[in-house]
Amino acid sequence: MECKLVPSVCSYCGTGCGVLFEVINHKIVGTLPMKTHPVNEGKLCIKGWNLHEHVNSILRLKQPLVKTFGRFIKTDWDEAIKLTADRFREIIDKYGPDSIGVLVSAKITNEENYLAQKLARAVIGTNNVDHCARL
Amino acid sequence: MNNEIKSWLEEGTIDVFLGYKEVDHHPIPWCFTRERLEEVDDLVVSPTRYSLEKLATHMAAVDPDIRIGMLARDCNQRALNVLAVWNQLRPEQIKTAEVNCCPSRLKAHADCSYLEPKTVGAYKKEAGIDNTFRIEDVKAYSPEEGRNRWMYEFQKCIKCYGCRNICPVCFCKECSLEHSDLVGTGPLLPDIPVFHLVRAVHMAGRCIDCGLCEDACPMDIPLRLLYQKVNQIVMDLFDYETGTSADQPPFSILGEKVTLQPKPILPVTAAEA
Repeated sequence: MECKLVPSVCSYCGTGCGVLFEVINHKIVGTLPMKTHPVNEGKLCIKGWNLHEHVNSILRLKQPLVKTFGRFIKTDWDEAIKLTADRFREIIDKYGPDSIGVLVSAKITNEENYLAQKLARAVIGTNNVDHCARL
Repeated sequence: MNNEIKSWLEEGTIDVFLGYKEVDHHPIPWCFTRERLEEVDDLVVSPTRYSLEKLATHMAAVDPDIRIGMLARDCNQRALNVLAVWNQLRPEQIKTAEVNCCPSRLKAHADCSYLEPKTVGAYKKEAGIDNTFRIEDVKAYSPEEGRNRWMYEFQKCIKCYGCRNICPVCFCKECSLEHSDLVGTGPLLPDIPVFHLVRAVHMAGRCIDCGLCEDACPMDIPLRLLYQKVNQIVMDLFDYETGTSADQPPFSILGEKVTLQPKPILPVTAAEA
C-alpha cells in the first residue's frame, strides 16, 4: 500500500489554488486543499475539490481524433497537425486571414497564451484574439 | 518520538505511520513506511492541521487489514473514537502518537493553539455572526435578529461542499446533500438554508468540534457554532457526548440496539424558539 500526498496547482481557472492529490497505490483518489498555500489558505471551490475526477475521467481525450464522415477516427499527432494546417491554409486563401479567431484561456499558462496570440498575429495574420472569460 | 515511531515500524506494530513532512516549505501529510525509515527524521509537528484520520479511513477501505499509526491531537482522538463507533475503523488497527492540542469546547485546557482568534470584519459583526462567539453569545440575540443574522451568513454559501469533503467523520457513500429531493442542483443559487440545516442535523452525534469545516469554508460561515449548538441539544436530551461516549449515538440505525434512554423533551419556550 503506497499512499502519497502530492502538492500541485489547480488547473481550472487562473487563480491557481494549491491542492494536494491523495494518491493511493498510484491512483489519484482524492483532492485536498493545501492549508499553507498563500493563494487559497486551505479553501477550494467545488471545481477544485473534484480535480481527481477530472484527471481520471473516461471522457479524457488520449489521442487526436479526426472527424471523418461524421465519426471520430483516431489518428496520430503528425496527421492531425498536418490536417489542421492544410485546412487553415485553405480557409485563409478562400476567406482571408480575418476569418479565423483565436480564443485563449485561463487554464493554460501565460506563456502558452502569448504563443497563441503570436500564432494568430504573425502566422495566421489576424488580430481576432479573445479570451474564454469574455464569452 | 521519532525513535519510538521508527521502532514501531521496524517491529511491525504498524505498517505505515501518518505524520507531516515539509515539502517545498509546506508541511503536508506524509505516509512514513518501513522501507524508507530514514524519512522519519523529517517528521514535523507543525500547527498546520489536516485530517489524518480521514486518510486512514481511505487507506483502510483499500486494505482492511492495514495497521496505521498516526499523530493524534485531541480532535484527532475524538474523531478516531467516532469513526470506531461507526465501524469505519477498528480501534486495534490504529496506534496514536500524542501531540499538543488546540482549544475546543470539548476540552477545558489546551496547550498550543492553531485556532488563533481570527480578526472578524466590522460589517460581519454588524450584520452576521462573529465566528469567535460562543453559543451563549448567539442566544443573546432575539429570535428575529438571530434568524436574520444566520441567513446573512448562509446566503454567502457557494456550495463548494468543502465542509462535507474535509470533515473527518463524514463518510457516507450516498450523501444526503447530493440527494436531488433535499438539495437541488442547477444553475440557480443553492438551497439556503436547507443545505446547512441538513448538514447540521447529520452532524448531531457525529461532529467532534475540530473546526476543519470552518477552516475550509471560503465564505467563513460560522459552522462550528452551528454544529456545537446541535451537539449541545444531543447532550441535553440524551447525555451523549460525541467523541467521548463509547456507545453508539442515539441516531445510528445500523448496528446494535441503542441503549441510551432519551430524557423527556421539555416544551420549547418562546425564548429558545
